[in-house]
Parts: sequence; C-alpha cells; structure tokens
Amino acid sequence: MSNIPAELKYTKDHEWAKLEGDIVTVGITDFAQNSLGDIVYVELPNIGDNIEKEGTFGVVESIKSASDLYSPLTGEIVEVNEDLNDSPDLLNEDAYTNWIMKIKISNEDEFNSLLSASDYKPLCEE
Amino acid sequence: MNKTSLYEAHLKLNAKMAEFAGFEMPIQYAGVKSEVQAVREACGVFDVSHMGEFFVTGAAAQKFVDYLITNDFLNAQMNKAVYSPLCREDGTTIDDLIAYKLEENKVLICVNAANIDKDWNWIESKKSNFNITLENKSEAYSLLAVQGPETEKHMTSLGFKDLESFEYYSAKEFEIDGDKYILARTGYTGEDGFEIFASHDLIQKTWAKLMDQGATPCGLASRDVLRLEVCYPLYGHELNDNLTPLDAALKWTVKLNKNEFIGKGALADHTPTHRLAKLSIEKGIPREGYDILNDNNEVIGKVTSGTMSVVLGKGIALGLIKRDKFPENKVFKIQIRKNIVDATYHTKAFVNGGHK
Repeated sequence: MSNIPAELKYTKDHEWAKLEGDIVTVGITDFAQNSLGDIVYVELPNIGDNIEKEGTFGVVESIKSASDLYSPLTGEIVEVNEDLNDSPDLLNEDAYTNWIMKIKISNEDEFNSLLSASDYKPLCEE
Repeated sequence: MNKTSLYEAHLKLNAKMAEFAGFEMPIQYAGVKSEVQAVREACGVFDVSHMGEFFVTGAAAQKFVDYLITNDFLNAQMNKAVYSPLCREDGTTIDDLIAYKLEENKVLICVNAANIDKDWNWIESKKSNFNITLENKSEAYSLLAVQGPETEKHMTSLGFKDLESFEYYSAKEFEIDGDKYILARTGYTGEDGFEIFASHDLIQKTWAKLMDQGATPCGLASRDVLRLEVCYPLYGHELNDNLTPLDAALKWTVKLNKNEFIGKGALADHTPTHRLAKLSIEKGIPREGYDILNDNNEVIGKVTSGTMSVVLGKGIALGLIKRDKFPENKVFKIQIRKNIVDATYHTKAFVNGGHK
C-alpha cells in the first residue's frame, strides 16, 4: 500500500508538490519509486532554467527503465537536490523527504489545481 | 499467454511479472540489486522454463548437431556442453544455443524461448539426410538455473552427489529415488552454477526445496544485468537474423577447420561489417538504441544492450560499431538524450565471473 501524505498535492504522473511561500518543492511519490524499483540514476535539471507545467525536467532511471519527470507547475528552478547525484537510492528510502527540485512559481492557482491526496489515491491502484 | 509450472510460486513471492517471449515471467522479486548480489556472492535461482529443449537421438545424432552448428561438437568429449551460434547458409544467425552431449546417441539442444518455432522449423528442414529422431520437448520440461558460488552446496543438499568432479560446461543424467533429472554445469551469469532440466512437478518440488534452503529467487531483470556484466551476448541484441557471429565477437565459436556445416562457405569468405565494443560511462545508463560516437561526434554505431552494473556501480553497454568506422584511438562517446558523454573502452569483460 502506497504512502500518500494528506498535506501534499499530486500529479497524474506520480510527482508530489509542496507549497511554502512562492516556492514549490517537487519529488516523486512513494508509488512511483516502488513501481520503478531500485533507482540507480537521477538526471537533475539546471538551476535557473524556466520550466513549463507538464514540461520534462529530469529523468529517473531504474536498472530496467528510464522515466521522464514532468513538472507539476510553471516556474523557475531555484534549487536541485544534489544528494541524488551520489545517492539516487535515497528516492527508494523515502520519496517524500528526498525531494528533487524547488521551483519559484508566479501563479498560485496552478498549485491549487493539482490533485489532492484523495484524488491521487485511485491512480495508485494497480 | 503461456505460464511456466512455477507461475503460482512466483505470485506467492510477490514477483513483478511481465511478458517475455510469449510467457508470463518473473522480472524481479525483492529487487534487481539484491538479486544480482545473491548470485555473485551466494546462490540465486531463476525459473527459465520458457527456454526450448530439443532432443536429437540416433546413430547420427552427434554428426547432425555438428552439421547444424558453427562450433565443434563432434570433437567435444562425452558429457560436454558446447555453446554455439546456429547459422543459415549465408552465415546469418538464427539463434545461439547450448548443445549437451548426454550419450553417444543422444544430444539435448537448449534454445532461446523467443526462437523455439524458428529453430524447430529450421532444424526439422535439415534432418532428412541423417539417421536421427528429432523431438521438441519444450512443453514437457521445466528448467531452473541455480547460480552463484554457493550453488554446489545447495545442489548437494538436494541429493545430487559427486559434484566436485562435475566439470564446468558438462551435463549428466541423474536419477534420485526414481526421479529423473538432466543436470548441466552451465548458466548465463558468469558464476559457477547448474541448470536443472526436469518434469514440471519435479521442478516445482526442487524450487520449493531451494527456497527452504535459503537460495534467493531471481528474475529476468537481474539475469540480464549478470550476463551483461560478463559480456555474454543476447540474441535479438548483439546477435540477430542479419548479422553473422563474426560481427558480434563470436569468432571463437566458428570453427572453419571442422567438417562441413551450414554456413561454412559464407563464413569463410565473410568480412565482418561490425565490431562489438564494451563501453562504460560514469553517470547515467546507456540504453539499447543509443548512438555511439567517435571523438568528432560522428555516429559510428549503436548500443545493443545497456544497464547499470551492480558490481561496478556504472552504466555499462555492449555496442555494435561499423567496422570501417572503428576508431583506432579507442575514443568513444554515447549520446544520452540531449547529452553526449565520454565512454571508457574495455578490452575485457566488466566483471570476472567466478565459474570454474
């Protein structure tokens, strides 16, 4: 059974988002890390890049597959989690404390339109 | 879709299942990394019952098999196993297989699951001048691969005796309390290990015993990492219907000095069009189909198999390079999505397997 924290927002592509001020922290969900299996590489985006909602911002790779990451929101990338360069398996250990990027958003309505935990839950049923 | 006799056992172990060559097969259980480590350090068990088993019997059994394959079967000792490509007259590759010399007049051929029908039709069409009987027993046999340095101990616990003298790449028929097995000291991991061919119910019993003994169930995903770490080719990747074994670093399996065999003339005259390269990268994973470039960023080949090596912690790949473009300076790069990354050229396998 996947862990889906109630306080976060979600996308249908299995990313999570958390808003603090005008900064949104983004990661992949517990369901995503579990479906991928052993994560062995994370391709992080560049700080300073502007990203569109649903644009690809990176790649997570397990031994068997490479999966694109889709940004939940439009904004500017202000921080990336460099720890994932050396320890991509942190995403398997805890997909929620181990975030991937932080973006500065200009439109808070976009955040509010993301899925709630209860909307997201049915998407995690195999 | 076809299911192996261990399908229910896999579900009980919560295996991730997926289709492979028309069979619903276990891809992984606890995780690819831990399964690879189990095989390199202890003992892992793979259900590879999807693979095909053909039996050639009769006075000309050895001669027929020797005529079919490019490697030398006739001069192999009794009970030896011989790895070989199976080629057409023009030298292109139908499949790769292992032929087991079980008795003077009895040979077992084990073929890739995806090629069972293709191989069967081919071999059937070639038998008319030979005094042999050919049987496809793929549906009657299940097959386990038990692999890793602790395999002999596990096999002894199963009741198989005198394994110390059982040579690598050999095979014997065993009978334990009336139960019949064909045991082969072969595998696809580079480690010491055995493959057990037997009836479905015997394999179900054997699997259960191995689980009780603490052997690790391993899926096809870890099998692919293991074979790639030791640079074993996989049909459909390094070998295919359009290439000869000489294009895929398998010259050692083409014995042009032996008696007549299918493809001999073409292979004797053939100038290979490709060369196989072993490459590793520091970050990311080189995937099948990615372009391989030289130091001028000119595309010179493609990755045929790629994965993350569990032992090295690096991305590793086998790639076919156009022979006339093979760089003398051995500088290779791989295009990963929008990035071009430097690759290290390896002259030896990425990992040394521990087989005897």
